[in-house]
Amino acid sequence: MHREITAVEGHYAESDSTDVFGFWLYIMTDCILFGCLFATFVVLNDGNATGPLLKNYVDLKTVLSETFFLLASNFTFCLAMLNLYHRKLLKVQAWLIVTFLLGASFIFLELREFITFAKAGFAWNINAHASSFFTLVGTHGLHVSCGLFWILIMIIQLPLIKAAHIAERRMTYLGLFWNFLDIVWVFVFTVVYLTGAM
Amino acid sequence: MIHQEEVDYGTGQKKLGIYLLGLVSCSLLTLLSFWVVMSERLAKWEIFVIIYLSALVQFFVQLICFLRLNTQTEQGRNNVISFVFTAVILTSLFIGSLWIMWNLNYNMQH
Repeated sequence: MHREITAVEGHYAESDSTDVFGFWLYIMTDCILFGCLFATFVVLNDGNATGPLLKNYVDLKTVLSETFFLLASNFTFCLAMLNLYHRKLLKVQAWLIVTFLLGASFIFLELREFITFAKAGFAWNINAHASSFFTLVGTHGLHVSCGLFWILIMIIQLPLIKAAHIAERRMTYLGLFWNFLDIVWVFVFTVVYLTGAM
Repeated sequence: MIHQEEVDYGTGQKKLGIYLLGLVSCSLLTLLSFWVVMSERLAKWEIFVIIYLSALVQFFVQLICFLRLNTQTEQGRNNVISFVFTAVILTSLFIGSLWIMWNLNYNMQH
């Protein structure tokens, strides 16, 4: 199936590229948002904090499972993307459902962890250290939740989209967003959990 | 194998092999980081160096294997340029904050 590049499609491809570049710039500004939150967390986590410390509450096994859920969902999204370019709609939807379930498991574990922390006395309003922890990890969790909602919409929307280039563009947005969240998580578990647990 | 024109939006070609490579190397590095911290066999500064190096490598693996950042196309180059710009901003923001706050902390205690 060789797609003919007509003048009209060439035009679409060009404006699509500009749109995707715009989305990429949004991702870059999101990087700066996370950078600020990381800087705040590190400044407020220098050992001078009074009150309960993350060290005494953190359970690295939960964090490890969260990490693998997110990494696996990243990979299954890439598989969905691969099938999209081979025009296999059902497989795309199947992989998106798997991605959704893995992402939802991540959020479930994170919320359970937050609740356990809060019950054990490490709540968001205890001290500045705890506030910065919940803000940073919570913002990431909020992004992942938005991503999950977006994946659900995509599963419903994909069969309704007639033009292939629109489906590819929207999936590219979602892919950039989802991969970006996994990259942020690499720093979250290193800077927050692993350094915090030492 | 279906051959077709692929519009990649600067995100590179979709290849299963590269994704698998990314998955395996990220898994191994993550396991290494967690193992080093959980086993507590090494000195603190050694653990520090290992987990941060591992995070840095994972970062680049994710960029290349999953985000497919590349300089092959015009758009790919644009992405890389804006990425480098963001990295400069982030570095000054992060290092600047820590520098100022640590200095402040040090000077206030005397």
